[in-house]
Amino acid sequence: MKRIAGRIAFNLFAWLVVFVTAFPLVWMVITSVKPQFELFRIPPTFWPEQITFEHYARLLWETPFLLYMRNSLILSTATTVVVVAVATLGAHSLVRFRYPGREKLAQLVLFTYLLPSVVLILPLYLMMVWLGVANSLLSLVIAYTTFALPYALWLLRSFMQGIPDDLENAALVDGATRMGAFFDVILPQALPGIISTSLFTFILSWNEYLYALVLVNTDAARPLTTGVMNMLISAFNIEWSLLMAASVMMSIPLIIIFAFLQKFLTRGFGAGGVKG
Amino acid sequence: MSDARSADGEVRFEKVRKAFGTNVVVRELDLAIRGGEFVSLLGPSGCGKTTTLRMLAGLEFPTSGSISIGGRVVNEVAPGARDVAMVFQSYALYPHMTVAENIAYPLRKRGVPKPEREQRVQRAAESLHLTELLSRKPRQLSGGQQQRVALGRALVRDPRVFLLDEPLSNLDAKLRAHMRAELIELHARIRRTFIYVTHDQLEAMTMSDRIAVMHEGVLQQFGTPAEVYNRPANLFVAGFIGAPTMNLLHGQAAEGAFHHPALGLPFAGGSPPASGQRLVLGLRPEDVVLGTGPFAARIRLVEPHGHEQIVQLDIEGGDTLTIRADAALPLAAGEALRWGLRTARLHLFNAESGGRIDAAFTAPAEAAAA
Repeated sequence: MKRIAGRIAFNLFAWLVVFVTAFPLVWMVITSVKPQFELFRIPPTFWPEQITFEHYARLLWETPFLLYMRNSLILSTATTVVVVAVATLGAHSLVRFRYPGREKLAQLVLFTYLLPSVVLILPLYLMMVWLGVANSLLSLVIAYTTFALPYALWLLRSFMQGIPDDLENAALVDGATRMGAFFDVILPQALPGIISTSLFTFILSWNEYLYALVLVNTDAARPLTTGVMNMLISAFNIEWSLLMAASVMMSIPLIIIFAFLQKFLTRGFGAGGVKG
Repeated sequence: MSDARSADGEVRFEKVRKAFGTNVVVRELDLAIRGGEFVSLLGPSGCGKTTTLRMLAGLEFPTSGSISIGGRVVNEVAPGARDVAMVFQSYALYPHMTVAENIAYPLRKRGVPKPEREQRVQRAAESLHLTELLSRKPRQLSGGQQQRVALGRALVRDPRVFLLDEPLSNLDAKLRAHMRAELIELHARIRRTFIYVTHDQLEAMTMSDRIAVMHEGVLQQFGTPAEVYNRPANLFVAGFIGAPTMNLLHGQAAEGAFHHPALGLPFAGGSPPASGQRLVLGLRPEDVVLGTGPFAARIRLVEPHGHEQIVQLDIEGGDTLTIRADAALPLAAGEALRWGLRTARLHLFNAESGGRIDAAFTAPAEAAAA
């Protein structure tokens, strides 16, 4: 009896948490399909009396939304590719090779997290100007890499530490080169780690706001985060329905990626290769 | 043909030393292994045997000295180019590949064309009874099957030298005995050089042509199983080889005899150790005769093993001897009894250096014990 009561209480609590988390998202979707005149009605309507996709249409055809979307996709994909490529090789080096200062190096990498990003923005901006890439997508890729890489390196390092040395050694004795062993054996084993690292990096770049705000001030290079804000929020007016429609569309790529990759994240391959 | 083959698989360590920082793991190793020979590197954990094997595979680099395979110095040669195959203690099967892909991997890396590859995988699988399992993944196999796949992956390449790093240690006792027999047969069939690392003296004794006993990075003795057992080069080998272990009695040389509170043994001829030298006498459990003899003892413990009994004897001087006795002998704890020695089969060591001393003994007189 007591157990059942406990269970009910637990379930109620869990659903409460789900509700609190999900409600703003639901509200976002609902608002995005309400006609303008229904938005500020008092008392507010929960279910829209009339469903309209006019905001979506306006966003897509009358604003630079698609340009921002393209920028965000390029930016996040490029950052993810660079970060994962460098972090995978770097983590492998930190785990497998013996060289002086290896541990120190690994710890030093985390040092970047001790500094608030606001502190780093201006020096980074000056460096971008000096490199001649300021105000471009490339400058953002570089900036995002500086803070995504350390974390990715640590994440992958712990993944790679779980891969037995003997697997790589066996590949070497079997005739593979270092790189061959890396691609044939290490990479497939580290795949769940690489996928979660990619996911992390992609989401980080997709949602980043501060750097994008400071380093870029042209529509040609603006990602969604700053682009949408810039476009819809002015000092006098916030275009709520457009903002909500934009938010929905901004979330869709992440949801698709998550749905697609989730099974890789939970799939436990690697188990059973080595005994003992 | 077999001669050409032997020169092929010859392995030589010359003054090989390996240190990790200040920790010296292998010291001045000199070892010459003939082609086609089955050699075990035997020793307790941390003795440097696995490091020695890994240096031969090319997974570790010697700090100094040279390693050659088939007459060619391989210090600078990549692991894959040494023509050695290795079976790891963990088996190290590639988890994302099927059994067939695992076995084919070394061939693929050597650019063997697909039809030949498939044929050779098939042949290796047949010889190891793996045909049914070729499409499975390693995690779907039992320990014994994984072991076979690891062997298959080594076998399929037909390498000059097989390196095996404690390959049986993860198997249960019954399977281990079975795999031991299979390895002996495999070696007899293909006559390649096998270098087998183990801490299990039974494996080393039963399978090897020769055994290299290692301790603390130093090669203690390199000889046939019979040599290592019958003429241990020093106290370490004497104590390490044999189960139950050799009894070691500390005593001293005086007046042309070995003296211990429980027994005196006169040296026979040759050049006996100088008086006053501290010595250790080694007695194998099977080289003691119970029931009659010049010495007295009391039985502390009797362990019947069915085909024999292992007896602990308290002798004078506070020492205990472990003796192997016939199962038919009526023995009971607490009883006093007489015992004697097979003097031709005793071992004598220098107590300071641990080195073997070649000495012969004359049978002690009955009165010597009194």
